[in-house]
Formats: sequence, C-alpha cells, structure tokens
Amino acid sequence: MFSLFYGFWKYMFTKTEFHVLILGIDKSGKTTLLEKLKSQYSNVEGLPPDRIVPTVGLNIGRIEASNTKLVFWDLGGQPGLRSIWEKYYEEAHAVIFVIDASLPSRFEDSKSALEKVLRHEDLIGAPLLILANKQDLGEALSAEELARYLDLKKLDERAYSYEAVSAYDGLGIKESVDWLVEAMERSKRTEMLRARAGLANSVSS
Amino acid sequence: MGIVFTKLFASLFGNKEARILVLGLDNAGKTTILYRLQMGEVVSTIPTIGFNVETVQYNNIKFQVWDLGGQTSIRPYWRCYFPNTQAIIYVVDSSDTDRLVIAREEFHAILEEEELRGAVVLIFANKQDLPGALDDASITEALELHKIKNRQWSIFKTSAIKGEGLFEGLDWLSNTLKSGGG
Repeated sequence: MFSLFYGFWKYMFTKTEFHVLILGIDKSGKTTLLEKLKSQYSNVEGLPPDRIVPTVGLNIGRIEASNTKLVFWDLGGQPGLRSIWEKYYEEAHAVIFVIDASLPSRFEDSKSALEKVLRHEDLIGAPLLILANKQDLGEALSAEELARYLDLKKLDERAYSYEAVSAYDGLGIKESVDWLVEAMERSKRTEMLRARAGLANSVSS
Repeated sequence: MGIVFTKLFASLFGNKEARILVLGLDNAGKTTILYRLQMGEVVSTIPTIGFNVETVQYNNIKFQVWDLGGQTSIRPYWRCYFPNTQAIIYVVDSSDTDRLVIAREEFHAILEEEELRGAVVLIFANKQDLPGALDDASITEALELHKIKNRQWSIFKTSAIKGEGLFEGLDWLSNTLKSGGG
C-alpha cells in the first residue's frame, strides 16, 4: 500500500526528465548542436566546433530549461550507424531532426531518413522539431523553404515545428528548446511514458 | 604515439587521481594497446588472490588492465579497482566471432557495477588487420551497445599491431572527459 502511495507521490511531484533524441544524417551538425545546448544551458563548457569529430556512438547532454530536466541523446548519422537509432525510440519523449540547410545535394538522403523515423511505431505521437541548420552559411535555406522541399506527409497526428538555427553561433537554439519543452509537456506520449515508468516503479518497489 | 598521448591527457584531470580501466576477454589485444601508447613501463602484478593486473601510471592517471571471463570466484576482488574510474576502454577481438556473446555478457555485467556508473565507455573493435574482422557497426550490434543509455559511448575500429585507430579513440575520450563526461 505504501509503495502504491509512494509511486503516486513520485508520479505527481517528481520533476519529469524528458529524453530528446537528436537525429539526422552525417555532417548535419547534431553534435555541434548538443555542445551548443550544453554551453547555453548548463555550466559545462561544450566542445568548440573545431574539436568535434564524427560520432560513432552516443553523446549525452543534460540541461535544465523552464524548470524541466532535459536529456539529449545524440546518435551517429553515418549510414551504417542509423540502424541503432530505433533502439532508442521507445524511451524518447521527442525528436529533433537536424538538416544541413546549406547542402541541397543531401536533402533527399535527409528526407528518406526522416520519413523512416516517422513511420516507426515506437515513436508514435512524439513531437518532432525539424531544424534547418547552418544558417550561419549564407546559402542556407529558410525553415519555410526546407518545409516546402521536404513536403512531409503523415505529420498530422504529432506536434511538429520547423526552426531555422545555427548550432555554430546559437541562432534559434532558445526558441527550439522552448518549443520542445512546451510540446512535450502537452503531449499524450509524455503521459503514456510517465504512466509506464510509474507502473514499473510501483511493481519493482 | 607517446607524444600524442602526452598532449591529450597531460592536463586532463588536474591533480586528481584518476583511473582508466582497459578491459576485455583474454587475447583481445589490451596489453599490445598499452605498449603502443608508450606511456611508460607496464608493470604486471599478480595479487595473491589470483588475477593478473597490469598497470601503467601516467602522471596521476592509472591505466589498469585485466582479462574478463573465466573464474567467477575472483570477481568480487575486481571491485578494489573500481573507485575513481573515469573511463572504461573495452577491447574486443573483432575477428573472434565465436566469443562475441561472452564479450557482450562480460561487458554488460561490468557496466552494472555501481562504482562504475559515471565512467564513459570507449570501445575498440580491435584486430581490424585480421581477415574476417567485423566492422564497427557489426560490433555495435553484437555487443548490444544500444542498451547503454545513461552514459556516453563510442566505438572505433583499431589495429593495435599497426597502431591504427587508437589515437582517434583516445582523442574522443579526452574530449568527452573535458566536456563533462557521462
């Protein structure tokens, strides 16, 4: 009985920890984004962009924003490594999909990778933030232009947004985090994940 | 390699005592890697409790190596070597496909250790020079690295014999430890 009550108490008052997946093809700027998030939101100094090497594994960033805890999972984007993405879907509250908006030759690759992400049933209802990254480069497409190009179907059931950002100089990062936090707080998926975690806790304790 | 190593790790931990464990099944290439790094003399000790630990002391960082697998009776003694561990370098013989299952089990068992919770994990998919060696994506799959969700990890294809890939891995490790670790 106590454990039930305790579970309920925890359910009501524990600060939710949101898991956000950072996905995108190689060289789109995922790790640079993660390091920028760390620099802007925590007292950890992120790595400067010139020290960042291609990710072959998992990078993690923990920040606090708008009184919530966010854990970012940054996974490698090279073709051989993308198969690992889906192993992280089940526990993710939301997805950031990063696209190098200055490199049209790889838009097709991004689009098909993103469509595959959206089709996966483990990510049902997860809010999606698509970032038109590398705005610091003059030739980058705007968020609207990128949206028009991607022309994504099957987005209607989930909260989604496009944002023009530069992980390099920080443009649009704050707006992105604000949108994410609000979208996750309102999402049914968050409720579902919370209920599942609460259930697991009360069974195990 | 020795100089590169000095550059990467010289100021990493300040004066704090730090430990990096180099683990893997026997014959994975751990000792060869230590020799490749040329950080100093590898001292082999066999404690009376009966497992062989190799140590390289580099400034305030201790690199310690032992074989996983085998006798379960000595395992509790491993814990003596866990405190202050900042990183685990897990070395796999990528050509020894028969033993990948054991390599996986031993790996995940080590990660469950409470005192190693904060350690970041660097995996060396070693022996890439041998025919039939699996690549990094296949080793990732075989070791089920995706089960790691609370700490940073990265995998590199290496050949300790040729000295390939070691630097890239250590570069990642020093960057990760600098930017706040797991």
